[in-house]
Amino acid sequence: MRKLNRRQRVLLGLGFSAAFLIVVCIWGSLGTEAARATDFSRKNIPPCLQYPFGTDWLGRDMLVRTVKGLSISILIGITAAAVSAVIALLLGIASATMGKAVDSVISFVIDLIMGVPHILLLILISVAMGKGLKGVIVGVAVTHWPSLARLIRAEVLQLKEMPYIKIAGKLGKSRWYIAVKHMLPHLLPQFIVGLVLLFPHAILHESSITFLGFGLSTEQPAIGIVLSEAMKYLVTGKWWLALFPGLFLVVTVVLFYVMGQSLRKLLDPGSVHQ
Amino acid sequence: MKRKILAIFCAVSLAAGLLSGCGQSGSTGEGNGKSEGSSPPEAGSGSETGGAGSGTEDGSIPGETTGGAKEEVVVTMPVTSEPESGFDPAYGWGAGEHVHEPLIQSTLVVTNKELQIENDLATEYGVSDDGMTWTVKIRDDVQFTDGEPLTAADVAFTYNNCKEKSSVNDFTMLESAAALDDTTVEFKMTKPYAIWPYTMAIVGIVPEHAYDANYGQHPIGSGRYIMKQWDRGQQVIFEANPDYYGEAPKIKKVTVLFMEEDAALAAAMAGQVDVAHTAASYSDQAIDGYSLFRVDTVDNRGFNLPCIQPEEKDGITYGNAFTSDVNVRRAINIGIDRQEMIDNVLNGYGTAAYSVCDKMPWYNPAAEVAYDPEGAKKLLDEAGWTKGPDGIREKDGVRAAFTLMFSSSDSVRQALAEDTANQLKELGIEVTTEGVGWDVAYDRAQSEPLVWGWGAHSPMELYNIYHTLADSGIGQAGYSPYANETVDQYMDQALESSSLEESYELWQKAQWDGTAGITQEGDIPWIWLCNVDHLYFVRDGLTVAGQKIHPHGHGWSIVNNVDQWSWE
Repeated sequence: MRKLNRRQRVLLGLGFSAAFLIVVCIWGSLGTEAARATDFSRKNIPPCLQYPFGTDWLGRDMLVRTVKGLSISILIGITAAAVSAVIALLLGIASATMGKAVDSVISFVIDLIMGVPHILLLILISVAMGKGLKGVIVGVAVTHWPSLARLIRAEVLQLKEMPYIKIAGKLGKSRWYIAVKHMLPHLLPQFIVGLVLLFPHAILHESSITFLGFGLSTEQPAIGIVLSEAMKYLVTGKWWLALFPGLFLVVTVVLFYVMGQSLRKLLDPGSVHQ
Repeated sequence: MKRKILAIFCAVSLAAGLLSGCGQSGSTGEGNGKSEGSSPPEAGSGSETGGAGSGTEDGSIPGETTGGAKEEVVVTMPVTSEPESGFDPAYGWGAGEHVHEPLIQSTLVVTNKELQIENDLATEYGVSDDGMTWTVKIRDDVQFTDGEPLTAADVAFTYNNCKEKSSVNDFTMLESAAALDDTTVEFKMTKPYAIWPYTMAIVGIVPEHAYDANYGQHPIGSGRYIMKQWDRGQQVIFEANPDYYGEAPKIKKVTVLFMEEDAALAAAMAGQVDVAHTAASYSDQAIDGYSLFRVDTVDNRGFNLPCIQPEEKDGITYGNAFTSDVNVRRAINIGIDRQEMIDNVLNGYGTAAYSVCDKMPWYNPAAEVAYDPEGAKKLLDEAGWTKGPDGIREKDGVRAAFTLMFSSSDSVRQALAEDTANQLKELGIEVTTEGVGWDVAYDRAQSEPLVWGWGAHSPMELYNIYHTLADSGIGQAGYSPYANETVDQYMDQALESSSLEESYELWQKAQWDGTAGITQEGDIPWIWLCNVDHLYFVRDGLTVAGQKIHPHGHGWSIVNNVDQWSWE
């Protein structure tokens, strides 16, 4: 086999992770009915050819449930991370450009939110919003922006001191023009990578609060629900109920991470030298 | 490249480790908590941790753990069985949502295995002709465990106190209680209440002189056992009352551990407990030295079908367009294969339920129906519910569909809901299941069916479910909209009747009198699915005395007669 060069390897990793995630999303969206279908004639079957992930005590196919659960997680993760990233972008830029007072307020909020454990805030927000899909998405969205916002703020602060920005200002270009024409292109790679790296966080947090019973409701085949149901049956030796969903949750998270890193290498070649 | 693969592998294993670590820490944490809890009583006198742990590991032989003189038992119960407000009857101990004998306190009367009333503290009791005054004579030789005698004044105090404070049980029928002399109590009622003895069977008598706000934490009573120690969230230890006026308890020490079913199973597997409560889903587990013990129950599961067309009041929707058709409700009742449900969901550990009170003296066997899917389809066809292109029936634009809710933490109810959905699909009815919390379940059940669990040692439950409440909601029955004057009248008469026997007959008529009622031929506002057997792993050698039919609640009922258990 011909050895691939670095760029090709990165592209391969990116392509593979993107393909996996897209397949999971599509398969999951198609399998809504199947993931909830119960059939008592096939309950508690260990993994076999027909049911590679086995079935649970209601005779539900764990493969379909796992995929559906992952697709729910991914969709929640993407929505929440996107909202979160937009908040981060706006606040980050506002903090860097709108003067001392705004900056200190926003920095304070960032420190405040980062000081409280995510999971605690998540539970509070999710419960206050009445649990369910909305609660989880809002919860994840409003807790995950601070680190990215901080990054963007630092970047903008740095950019502001750059000679070409200063010159543009001296030439009488408007703030808006400078922000859009000069700063945004520079920020975009950072932003996209940051956005992608938010996904795994969002997914893990979604599953953990659902696992703890503060997220989606029980009849939804979310991965957190699947795992917490499996807990009750682990003691009776039904290992497949927890192993495959858990493993695939980890795989999904890792692939998102790979995707983020690959993107960073492609968009920001300089990072290779770091 | 190699390094990266290695890194990814490390990341995966780290994350997997984290996940499984999280998973296990939950159960081992629990396990540790429990073994600490369970070990000291087994080890007799005890160091809390090290010694006790090793004691249980090599001490799993029953003879050793109980120290030869087998007069102790360790029993597990669900975490929810721990009385939050302590062992105070005014806050639901014995007389709460889940009725049972209060052990620490004694009651005026008790229910026997056939659920008939027998005397305990009472020597005789009677009711005035108008049903408004109950007079009870009590024994004069009973002492509280602090040495003070138990008098009629204590009885009166207990009931007045319950009436004033109880939020978990209904005492609205009691006007007041008064002691006429040391051994005579008189209850003035607000309305005739023929089944008052069933209330007298669950209210433990507390001492007036030793009762304060902290009574629940340090209960004093005259019952068979004394509460020695209560470690919140872990265990309660009872010791036999040496001065008990009745037959001396054979079991001298009872330790109750609170844990989830999976932890109880693990505790039994480790040989740490003598009786472990368990669920049908674990019933196929074979544990060395234990055998499965099943108890008949009236712990039923069923769902409500709102009987009226939807209307709204105060933001709550009452009624359901589809289930308001009586033919729909009848079709559902005979279209459900209860035996299939019991075999699949309960692994066979259950009995078909046709009412909220199967096997009780006030049960009317006319409620029983046979599984008849063809008959069900015929009923729906005749009522005009015809199948649409997707196989789901329709009538006048109303789709034959409803949401069946279940309490989201209850896997048995979830399975019953799923099975109901599967079975009703055969009839052309579309059922969507949804897990809900109790915070919203009550309001939503007014318009959508919900899987409930009921079953009590009192016919009052029929009243609570089927009798209209004029002052609340829209003047229909409390939990699900339904009203029938005839049914109401029978139940009112039952409460006014002069003897229990007479009232049983009226309660039965309220269910079905030949022309009207709440059964298949009547209005059938609730569908009853099954009575869930209460299952326990019992250590070989321990004889658990015969149980009366357990009510709803998989907790304290098992130890109702722990004083009569024995070791071989």
